[in-house]
Amino acid sequence: MSAGTQVHANLTEEQVREISGDLDEPEWLLETRLEALEALDSLDMPDVIKTPGREWTNLHELDFESLVDPLNAAENKDQVGPDEADVLSWADAVQEHEELLKEHFGSIVDPQENYLTALSTALFSTGTVIYVPEGVDAEDVAIRTEQNSRSLFNYTLVVTEESSSVTILERQSTGEEAEEQYYSGVVEVAAGENSYVQYGSLQNLSEEAYNFTVKRGVTDTYATIDWIEGNLGTQLTKTEVSTELRGDSSETQIVGAFYGHNDQHFDLDAKVWHRAEHTTADLITRGVIDDISRSVYEGVQDVGADAWDTSSYQRENTLMLSDESEADASPQLIINNHDTEASHSATVGQIDAEDLFYMTSRGVDPRSARNMLVEGFFVPVLEEIDVDELRDDLEELIGARLRQRD
Amino acid sequence: MSSDQDHLKETDTEARFEFKKEENSAVRSGKGLTEEVIRMISEDKDEPDWMLERRLRALEQYQNMPMPSGWPGMPDLSELDVEEIIPYIRPDVDKREGVDDWTELPDEIKDTFDKLGIPEAEKNALSGVGAQYESEVVYQNMQEQWEEKGVIFCNMDKAVQDHPELVKEHFMTTCVPPSDNKFAALHGAVWSGGSFVYVPEDVTVEMPVQAYFRMNSEGMGQFEHTLIIAEEGSEVHYIEGCSAPKYGTHNLHSGGVEVFVGEDAHVQYSTVQNWSKNTFNLNTKRAICEENGTMEWVSGSMGSKVTMLYPCTILKGRGSTDTHITIALAGEGQDIDTGAKVYHNAPETSSTIESKSIAKDGGRTNYRGLVHIADGAENSSTAVECDALMFDNESTSDTMPYMEIEESKVDVAHEATVGKIGDEDIFYLQSRGLDDDDAKKMIVAGFIEPITEELPIEYAVELNRLIELEMEGSLG
Repeated sequence: MSAGTQVHANLTEEQVREISGDLDEPEWLLETRLEALEALDSLDMPDVIKTPGREWTNLHELDFESLVDPLNAAENKDQVGPDEADVLSWADAVQEHEELLKEHFGSIVDPQENYLTALSTALFSTGTVIYVPEGVDAEDVAIRTEQNSRSLFNYTLVVTEESSSVTILERQSTGEEAEEQYYSGVVEVAAGENSYVQYGSLQNLSEEAYNFTVKRGVTDTYATIDWIEGNLGTQLTKTEVSTELRGDSSETQIVGAFYGHNDQHFDLDAKVWHRAEHTTADLITRGVIDDISRSVYEGVQDVGADAWDTSSYQRENTLMLSDESEADASPQLIINNHDTEASHSATVGQIDAEDLFYMTSRGVDPRSARNMLVEGFFVPVLEEIDVDELRDDLEELIGARLRQRD
Repeated sequence: MSSDQDHLKETDTEARFEFKKEENSAVRSGKGLTEEVIRMISEDKDEPDWMLERRLRALEQYQNMPMPSGWPGMPDLSELDVEEIIPYIRPDVDKREGVDDWTELPDEIKDTFDKLGIPEAEKNALSGVGAQYESEVVYQNMQEQWEEKGVIFCNMDKAVQDHPELVKEHFMTTCVPPSDNKFAALHGAVWSGGSFVYVPEDVTVEMPVQAYFRMNSEGMGQFEHTLIIAEEGSEVHYIEGCSAPKYGTHNLHSGGVEVFVGEDAHVQYSTVQNWSKNTFNLNTKRAICEENGTMEWVSGSMGSKVTMLYPCTILKGRGSTDTHITIALAGEGQDIDTGAKVYHNAPETSSTIESKSIAKDGGRTNYRGLVHIADGAENSSTAVECDALMFDNESTSDTMPYMEIEESKVDVAHEATVGKIGDEDIFYLQSRGLDDDDAKKMIVAGFIEPITEELPIEYAVELNRLIELEMEGSLG
């Protein structure tokens, strides 16, 4: 579709200039924003899967005219990290790290990749830049964003120098709730040679909210990017977590967990592009859906012609707790180099009746038994989460949601 | 192997591509697709008005439909110009509906089929062979015992004349309506020939029913229609084989297959497709399964330039079952985009999809599959397994499964692997005295064995031979 029409009506160049001016941005950044704004008219919505007679996620009904309120962004933010690394607000980063921004901003996620990335680029007013110098281990970087306005556009850039490492824990939640809110986030990670980035994210926005997120990393030689992605909130989430393995012997892991209930709709993409030799990828996602919620999962393992000696694995499992829910999945393999070991698997099912019977026969009441089995279902994913705090939080949120159930 | 397959050893499979007959057609349509051409086809076949009307409606739908687009990794159809395709050629055979006796055939056609090994297969007590040459089925035979039981196996054009009620009810109505996709609409407009199989209640046709389709003329399209009606409790196995010689311009094959599987009935449909490498092979094949019915698709795709084919089963009745077994081999310049579609629309339905593919010399294989489990199809299960083997770095192997699960009481599993041919396996076989070529052939034979063992032995041998031929010269 040719998208832009709805939003352009109440978006102006002046607004974009004002946002950029408030942040004291250099001219080249303003230009990037203005170009993205101008491109809105010609850009399409992000790709969603289409099968005969249906589109898996309908983004066209989003009423951006009422959702996007460009000059009223309010949030409560924590951005903390160890002294050896720079963890800066966007405004500070513009002052202190302009060269870094010039080099990386928009280089990993093209601002004009689609309508929603362009909208985000034109309008983002908050963000975090994390810079880890050579050899530094930055253990605890925490970003917490509490959205208090109708719309919020957030940008995150992570740059690690050679042989450094960083663990980032990001949380998104809603403070002041409005009827409908829109959160948009773009995350770019540039992992330098032999560096290690662990990026954990826990999205627990209001269930009235819409969420669009793109998280993408690029690896240098021997670098590793590990993603942990937890999705619990929003009524509609469209998110992509991806890594381009550009350096020889680089690695990535994408661990995902989601739990949808009520009428939530999660459209979750996990993608990896093998573009160098001896690269390894491991994608594992598990989720539960309940009530009339719906999950859409797209996993892509793309092995380029130059990616010799590749290992690539993907698993996706969905547990359905109700009959009215729907689980859609498309785990894809695109293999252009034969020197590859690649596999993927996906399953959808319900709680195993025999397991349930076994537990109730041991005296566990059916409700607790079911909850324990669901918690048990998440264990293989939780085990992959190295960050204790994130694992605990996720477990707690899953438990709380289960206990809400009759 | 028994002596039953000796004829296959003696048939030089490669010769299928190399010899072509001087075209000696009686009726030949112009190029392209116009109402005039459609009317001419229908008139030449002396069709009833209702069929002509269906053709014209399909033509209208075809003209109003866009080409498929926007599919991820979709094969390139830009070189296909339907307006340049000759949709209808009737060979010079006296009896339009085909001949009963092999000896009545014109020599050149007989000769062609002799080279293909068809009469030998027939002699070997197979129940029936229908051979389609260009647009018409020119030869068929059917053992009398089946006829006595009320089994009908004839040319589709003849069925329109002789069994209008059955055809009227089932032909491109509920199973594959022309509105399904652009090439189904095209097929509905220009279809010609093909097979009609009707198996009455509780009749089991023990021997496979076979048809062989061949395109001989340059730049032609072949649009055979196959309609199989298996009534309650019946059983039948239908096999088709296809080939065409090589030409400089592109051929189009756009067949239509409709299978009605009645209650407790069992239909197996096997195909070995070996179109020449300039053929666009764009088919629509679909089965509807009633309660406790079983549908089995077995297919081998070797030839063609582009194949887009996703045989589909609609599991409409409770307890119905579907099995897909497919093997695809893509060599130089080939894009074999094939898979399976299954709609689970009733409770206790089950499906299994097993797909094997081999990509070599720059070819591309893709498994594209859709499994849909509707709300209310409780206690249904599906298992999809795709394995791909890659020979070299010019080749591409993709897997694109789509799963839409609307029901919770289900068991859904998908698995896929891609790998290169194992160096260790080769080394092992070489250390046992096999040369590199033979070792690779043996590994491929082992890889595809689950498919070949589902086929009657003649076809399994043919498939193996075709693959061997494809492999030769590309290795080492």
